Amino acid sequence: MDQLEALKKEWQTREQKFPKLTYKEIYPMILKKSSSIVKWIVIISLCEIVFWILLSFLIPESSNEFYEELGLKTVFYWINGVNYVIVACFIYLFWKNWKKIQVTNTVKELMGNILRVRKTVHYFVYYNIGLTALLLAGINVYYYYNQEKLVDILKGQNIYGAIPAEAVVNKFFLFNIIAGVVLIGFLMLFYFLLYGLLLRRLKRNYKELKKIEI
Amino acid sequence: MLPTNQLANKKTLTKELEHSFVSQLEQNQNIVHKICRLYTNDSDAHNDLFQEITIQLWRAYPKFRGDSKFSTWMYRVALNTAITLYRKSKRKVQTQNFEAISFKISSEEYDATVEEQLILMYDAVKTLGDIDKALVFLYLENKNYREISATLGITEVNARVKMNRIKEKLRTVLNP
Repeated sequence: MDQLEALKKEWQTREQKFPKLTYKEIYPMILKKSSSIVKWIVIISLCEIVFWILLSFLIPESSNEFYEELGLKTVFYWINGVNYVIVACFIYLFWKNWKKIQVTNTVKELMGNILRVRKTVHYFVYYNIGLTALLLAGINVYYYYNQEKLVDILKGQNIYGAIPAEAVVNKFFLFNIIAGVVLIGFLMLFYFLLYGLLLRRLKRNYKELKKIEI
Repeated sequence: MLPTNQLANKKTLTKELEHSFVSQLEQNQNIVHKICRLYTNDSDAHNDLFQEITIQLWRAYPKFRGDSKFSTWMYRVALNTAITLYRKSKRKVQTQNFEAISFKISSEEYDATVEEQLILMYDAVKTLGDIDKALVFLYLENKNYREISATLGITEVNARVKMNRIKEKLRTVLNP
């Protein structure tokens, strides 16, 4: 490849024309804040983790009473306990993977480590969506088989007023299904956008590096 | 709380670290500029990337043990920033003249055909993907395959094979 060799020779012998920065110009640069992709990934990941943890805390008291009346309290107590252990494991894994991100790694290692952090958070989100969907489905099945109890409780709350019991139950299931579908759709859209914005280039480059090794 | 004299000590240490870092970067800034020019298309993005590389270098600097040359250490951090960490700014303006100037001005007695070929070659390199660019860049900087493979995290043999493929790719770009 003559042309590349020629460029190589010229590249080294000739000084290319670059802005020559002085000490005084470089110094303020080290005080500025980074806007690197890692910073954004950590911010987004932490937001996701906090979001899902908050969500489990924000379930209103009234719904707890509601479950108690349906006789589901003990079940929820245990599910909650196990959930906290799993959440703690995820946070530990996230922290461990995040510590591994070093700009002094090789290019391939750095990319792999960043993707691993994202993967941990993804699994965390999948776990939460899965758990939510499962619980929703489980509760609805339970409601279905305990309709009379449900009607009694719903009548006690004045939201539904004078609507006949049958209609209340139908509306209740319809609302649950729609809310579930909307929530999952919204999350999928959010993820699609996030991936498109931040990680497309990194993933492509990582794939290419892996391809070289095959 | 640290005692005051320890605190003062820490401050002088930081100052010394800052001073040695900035002066070394000042001396070796051309390496960073070359990477910025390869990975960006306008001077705004060039400066933006230079800024980000400086931050990343400074952050990693306390871990720089001096067991390799400062410049050698810089290649890895700077390339990592350009390829992986840097988020391209949205304002992308294709400026063709930008590189053309860079070769002409610095040479006093230049051969017009060599010059033209160089510019064509340079443009061809800029059409490559991020990883290929990094390989070509290290190659142009006269790094051997051991160093190239250690920077990218691939084996030496594969770096060689890949480089040969890139040369072929460049050939087809130049002689369609």
